[in-house]
Amino acid sequence: MQVIILSWEFPPRIVGQLADYVRELAAQLVKNNVETCVVTYHDYLTGQHEESGGIKTYRVSNPVRTHIGVLTWVLTLNQEVERAMANIYYNTNKQIDLLDAHDWHFIHAAVTLKKAFNLPFIYSVESLEEHRSHGANSPFNMAIKSIEWLGLYEAKKVIVKSEWMRDEVIRVYKVPIDKIKVVAPKSKTWMKDILETYKALEEAQ
Amino acid sequence: MTQELTVMMLTWEFPPRIIGGISPHVYHLSKSLAKNGAKVYVVTCDFPGAPQHEVVDGVEVFRIDSYKNPSPNFATWVYLMNMNMQKEAAAIVNSLGGKVDVFHAHDWLVANAGIGLKHVFRKPLLATIHSTEIGRRDGIRTDYERMIHETEAWLTYEAWKVICCSNYMVSHVRWAFGLPEDKLIMVPNGVNVQEYATNKNADLSQFRRKFALPEEKIVLFVGRLVYEKGIHVLINTVPKVLEKVNAKFVVVGNGYMKEPLSNLIRGLSLTHKVMFTGFVDEETLRNLQRCADVSVVPSFFEPFGIVALEAMAAKSPLVVSDTGGLSEIVEHDVTGVKVYPNNLDSLAWGITRVLLDEKYANWLKNNAYKKTQEEYNWDRIGRQTKNVYEAVLNEYSKSFWA
Repeated sequence: MQVIILSWEFPPRIVGQLADYVRELAAQLVKNNVETCVVTYHDYLTGQHEESGGIKTYRVSNPVRTHIGVLTWVLTLNQEVERAMANIYYNTNKQIDLLDAHDWHFIHAAVTLKKAFNLPFIYSVESLEEHRSHGANSPFNMAIKSIEWLGLYEAKKVIVKSEWMRDEVIRVYKVPIDKIKVVAPKSKTWMKDILETYKALEEAQ
Repeated sequence: MTQELTVMMLTWEFPPRIIGGISPHVYHLSKSLAKNGAKVYVVTCDFPGAPQHEVVDGVEVFRIDSYKNPSPNFATWVYLMNMNMQKEAAAIVNSLGGKVDVFHAHDWLVANAGIGLKHVFRKPLLATIHSTEIGRRDGIRTDYERMIHETEAWLTYEAWKVICCSNYMVSHVRWAFGLPEDKLIMVPNGVNVQEYATNKNADLSQFRRKFALPEEKIVLFVGRLVYEKGIHVLINTVPKVLEKVNAKFVVVGNGYMKEPLSNLIRGLSLTHKVMFTGFVDEETLRNLQRCADVSVVPSFFEPFGIVALEAMAAKSPLVVSDTGGLSEIVEHDVTGVKVYPNNLDSLAWGITRVLLDEKYANWLKNNAYKKTQEEYNWDRIGRQTKNVYEAVLNEYSKSFWA
């Protein structure tokens, strides 16, 4: 199985908790014989690398340097993410089975590749704009929420890290409960649950 | 290529959605490409009442939901619209089995979608730059403006070739983004002469009476009433022209200079000689252009000057400032009169010369009309554009993407 993981943070670029989580996820996947490529952002360490532990990374930078906020910054970065994903896709002779997008930043790219190549994708929710913005509803927050909504709508499966988050995703975005899978990062069955979810999507394809 | 060439046009406006010049440009270009044997898909923003999918003059048009996402400002709206446009376009290309040969994006407004589709499907991208942020604003001052400027630069960087509609724009775009000369191609804008040929002459004299007395010559200005269009220079020539010819000045368009200029005319007691019509519908505009004894384009800055082409197609003699795209469209003493920009005496001289010499005026307008048919007709422009696609596809066929 070949998987592309999308995350806007990955070591050495660490913004919050997501970077270390995604590295651990990728490392465990590699150990379980899943070909794993992480597409992520870095300002200058761009290009393809093989990290220790066999994780492949593909880092891109933003082609538009000046921005008025994180939203426009994300929106112009997605085309570079798509370029990286397309390169992986064509270089592996179109053998990609699954996309796993972490948080809203690269939903745009995941949805485009789904539409272009019929690739299934998982939306892994680390956090929601609803909680990050403390209920603020400016057009800026609403725009990010509309991207989260798009991701939840287009995803084949939604992975959340707690039952609380599952209930929040249902409450805020009205996602059907059978579309959501709770996989707790610290639990003993964590990797087993992830692999099962991946395999189920691969087989359904 | 054994199959017909397939192009996907990306544009933020397409009739009936008309905001500026890109909409009619893409419409005529697509139609002409289709006539010349290309398969054309247009992906554009939605418009109330317009269908999501239709075939217009041989062109297959898809309209995407462009107001799905709330946006804090225009540029963010553009980027979010691109997100939706790109995913819809990706689905269309997928449903066609990937059978699109080139993507053609018009201005930064569809830069993201064009660039993304290029990489996802590994097909060449062409960009037409109609206008630039640095040109529109006469410089870049804020982060917001710089972001747009850099998005334009990104589009020209990713494009296989960059098309501009005048030599003036070619050199402007080359300067603005530091592009190599061989990346730029000039393909002019066009005008559809048929649109000026349908009405009967009998209606026109009746129509003319609404604007001028039979003995008055009509001097026509069409454009936004703003500084760079030089309308204030034209208004200031009114007394000078009236010394020599009995004329009526008809000013079509709106803008922030309308009020100060009408006050000026009132002060000179010349309100009976200058008529401000504001915006007019397309038919009125066409008819006005057809009965104008002279059309004046006194701009200081003009990337192309489509209004000059329209006057030529309408067989109205033309007086223009010698600047920007206008300098290229008009050949002095052959297809029109060129005058010094921002120069009262020069402009008044040009207008009176055309109005006082009917033979000369006829010579100009006949030459000008011929030129629109030869150089600025959409059929020719469609063929030129198709040649550009074919040249690019030939290069592409030797690349590792092919």
